[in-house]
Amino acid sequence: MKTIILSTAIRLLTPVFLLFSVYILLRGHNHPGGGFIGGLIGSIAFVFHVLAHGANATARVFFSLTLYHHPRQSGHSRTRYFMQIMNANIRGRRKGRNMENRWNYIFVRVRPVYLIAFGLLLAVASGTIGLLAGQPFMSAFWLDVHLPVLGSLGTPLLFDAGVYLLVMGMVLKMIFTMSKE
Amino acid sequence: MFYTLLAGLLVAFAAPLLFRWLGRYVVLPLALLPLCIFIYFCAQVSQVLGGTRIIASTSWVPELGINLDFYLDGLSLLFALLISFFGFLIMIYAYGYLEKHPLLGRFYMYLTLFMTAMLGVVTADNIFCLFLFWELTSISSYLLIGFNNDQIESRTSAWQALLVTGGGGLALMGGLILLSLASGHFTFSGMVLSSNISLATHPLYLPALLLILLGCFTKSAQFPFHFWLPNAMAAPTPVSAYLHSATMVKAGIFLLARLSPVLGGTETWMTILLVVGGTTAVVGALLALQQTDLKAILAYTTISALGLLVMMLGIGSVLAIEAMLVFLLAHALYKGTLFLVAGVVDHSTGTRQVNDLKGLGRSMMYTGIAATLAALSMAGVISFFGFIGKELLYEASLESEVFNWLTLGVNMLAGLTFVAVAILMSYRLFWSKTSKPTALQHQTSPYLYLPPLVLGLLGLVFGLMAGLLPAPVLEKAALSILPSQKVQFELAIWHGFTPVLGLSMLTLVLGYLLYRFLPALHSAAPRLKKVYRYGPDSMYHTGFKSFQKGAKVFINTLQNGYLRNYIIYIVLFFCGLMLFALWRDAPHVNLGARRELLDQIELHELVLFVLVIAALFYILNTRSRLTSIVVMGLVGYSAALFYILYGAPDVAATQLLIETLTVVIFVLLLHKLPAFWYLSHQFRKYKFIAISILFGSVMTYTLLLVQEFAVESELKEFYGNASFLEAHGRNVVNVILVDFRGLDTLGEITVLAVAAVGIFALLRLNPEKGGKP
Repeated sequence: MKTIILSTAIRLLTPVFLLFSVYILLRGHNHPGGGFIGGLIGSIAFVFHVLAHGANATARVFFSLTLYHHPRQSGHSRTRYFMQIMNANIRGRRKGRNMENRWNYIFVRVRPVYLIAFGLLLAVASGTIGLLAGQPFMSAFWLDVHLPVLGSLGTPLLFDAGVYLLVMGMVLKMIFTMSKE
Repeated sequence: MFYTLLAGLLVAFAAPLLFRWLGRYVVLPLALLPLCIFIYFCAQVSQVLGGTRIIASTSWVPELGINLDFYLDGLSLLFALLISFFGFLIMIYAYGYLEKHPLLGRFYMYLTLFMTAMLGVVTADNIFCLFLFWELTSISSYLLIGFNNDQIESRTSAWQALLVTGGGGLALMGGLILLSLASGHFTFSGMVLSSNISLATHPLYLPALLLILLGCFTKSAQFPFHFWLPNAMAAPTPVSAYLHSATMVKAGIFLLARLSPVLGGTETWMTILLVVGGTTAVVGALLALQQTDLKAILAYTTISALGLLVMMLGIGSVLAIEAMLVFLLAHALYKGTLFLVAGVVDHSTGTRQVNDLKGLGRSMMYTGIAATLAALSMAGVISFFGFIGKELLYEASLESEVFNWLTLGVNMLAGLTFVAVAILMSYRLFWSKTSKPTALQHQTSPYLYLPPLVLGLLGLVFGLMAGLLPAPVLEKAALSILPSQKVQFELAIWHGFTPVLGLSMLTLVLGYLLYRFLPALHSAAPRLKKVYRYGPDSMYHTGFKSFQKGAKVFINTLQNGYLRNYIIYIVLFFCGLMLFALWRDAPHVNLGARRELLDQIELHELVLFVLVIAALFYILNTRSRLTSIVVMGLVGYSAALFYILYGAPDVAATQLLIETLTVVIFVLLLHKLPAFWYLSHQFRKYKFIAISILFGSVMTYTLLLVQEFAVESELKEFYGNASFLEAHGRNVVNVILVDFRGLDTLGEITVLAVAAVGIFALLRLNPEKGGKP
């Protein structure tokens, strides 16, 4: 389903969807919203991308990162070496140079399962904080700060973030698996 | 005592790691552990002999009476010493037996685990504690029998042993719980103390007794559950010697002995034990005579000996208990030795067939000596410990109040078999004159022949110093079985010329004659195959197979892979339950009075309703998948609108998103599906419609009913108040999800994660094609 209208719209809408999903996640404590809905909205951003460009493209654009590096030659200063690496990773990528030929690179891929696992880990960790403080599992703890958009910070928010990631990973996993077949 | 067991568990699980570090020297720490435990229990001997009972208690779930209570009395001490000492020897022996095995660490883990579990069984006071260790022995036995897991017979035997003993274990659990209900105690010591209030008249006595006996009989391989024990010989020989002759199979005997002050003494107890024990002894003896495999012979004589022990417990007099304990110890010593010898012979010559083995005495001198010592004890030759055991058995059966001639006959038969087998195991294997002795594949290492030699010698030493060494501990053990009786043991080799001595001599002579007839019996054995087809072993296999077949049929009917059928089953079952509940005890809804609800319908509600109904009719008649999906989306969105109208924005948002995603996923899959086609009869459609209407009406009716009887609940108020004050959130739904009932949500998202993995497995792994992702 590769249409110009859809793919252009998706390019503009994906960041909006993502931002909106995070907003829904954060406001969930006081207004309709929350981790589950937020996760669904966030995943819809990618689902439409899959519809427009295919699963492989989505995985390449959003869920993978190529890190370039090359061995430091003796005699070169460490600072200079570090700057070179930074430059190659940030500017070099943007210019779309054919870096693979001249640089060593590591290909990092974030699979949806990692999101699921990390979400579950976050959720369990938020419960464990109460356990460490000597209270029952899943006791809530709140920081005494109030931020303008985020509201108050506490373990339930962490838990909700875990739900968000897990739901998103779940939908992505399904979509990727089904569309690749 | 708690720490002893804990140390055992820790060392058990560290064994594979130690094996990685130490290589085959892993035997050092692992043999040291049973030795330390043995020394520990030896240190308790004087205290126990002095009459104190050592108690150690750690609370676990005190509300339910589940605690790790341990206590050490004479009976426990006897078994604990036996287990730890045997454990020490077996660890060394296993080092020689499995010297180059790559999984030696795992083997030691299972073995140590078993030893710990067994120690737990014999020292447990709490019934739950006992059950825990009891099952642990079953499981470690399963692992050990199946140790050679590349052989199919090992695996089936392991399964069989686990199913039989595990099933018995379940019965035992039920029996123990009934017993604790009847007696009001969760501990054995409590039950024994209060047993003067007679349990025998309690209505729960009989079921408790039967269940407990079932557990003990399966564990101790009593007829008709004896069949797993010979099959368990698929295990490596150290395991057979340790678990299946000396210790684990005696766990049932131990428990019977432990409970005999509580349950024993009644006519039921006596009859069942005598009949089952006697049958087992006879069956075991008869089957032993037909075998030609060394380990099978020993296994069947073990069954026979276990039968004798049960019989003695059934008689229950002081003399019978004395005979039971002495024979138990003697049997453990000689049978353990013989198993180890059989293992050495197997290891060195590569065969266990009696007919292929001859004249091994020259090449395996020490093993031969060990075998002879054990065999002399088994045959009951004077000056050996087995002799005292046999004398006591005869005496006890002669003195028995019921069936005395019958029990004596059973004892004689078993005794004859033991003599014949003893001659076979020592004379025939090692010392018979032959021109062509069986060639050895390799020399035997001292690790292999020293343990049986030690055990065999112990049989002689205990016999010569019977009054000095084993008697005091045995006496205390008898005292724990018969707490109210006066027990005095006078074990001696020479009683003077008594009728019992005559019987012993007669047994030896007749046993030798029986040995002469063994070849004839062996050649006659194959003719009995027809009978075995109806034996318990083949019954087990038939039962197992039909169980598998039945399960297959059941699953093919219910789990047939069609989503629509699953949904139909769920819906119909739910409707059935609901209708049953409504029919039985729910008040009827006055539908006439509820008609006024119809008048309150607003226009927008009506519009949504008409929309949904129209969409449904459209779906029923469309032939295009895409259209039906889109129209289904329409139904979903309408439902979401309903949610918004009734003030549930969170649910509505979720519904909207899910509908969107469903449509998208369908579209992704759509082009992979074959063209839509009516394969089944039109009639089926009406069946589905009928089921849907039924489900819908049941749900509606239930909802109306629920509305009529508003439940008084403070939950709403509580959540409304606490949500902002305590949980800092104004959205009550979300606060409940992530805070108040956060654990539920955690469970749900875990299910979600598992479902994701499941979806992946179903879609990508393609097991039918044998493919990998």
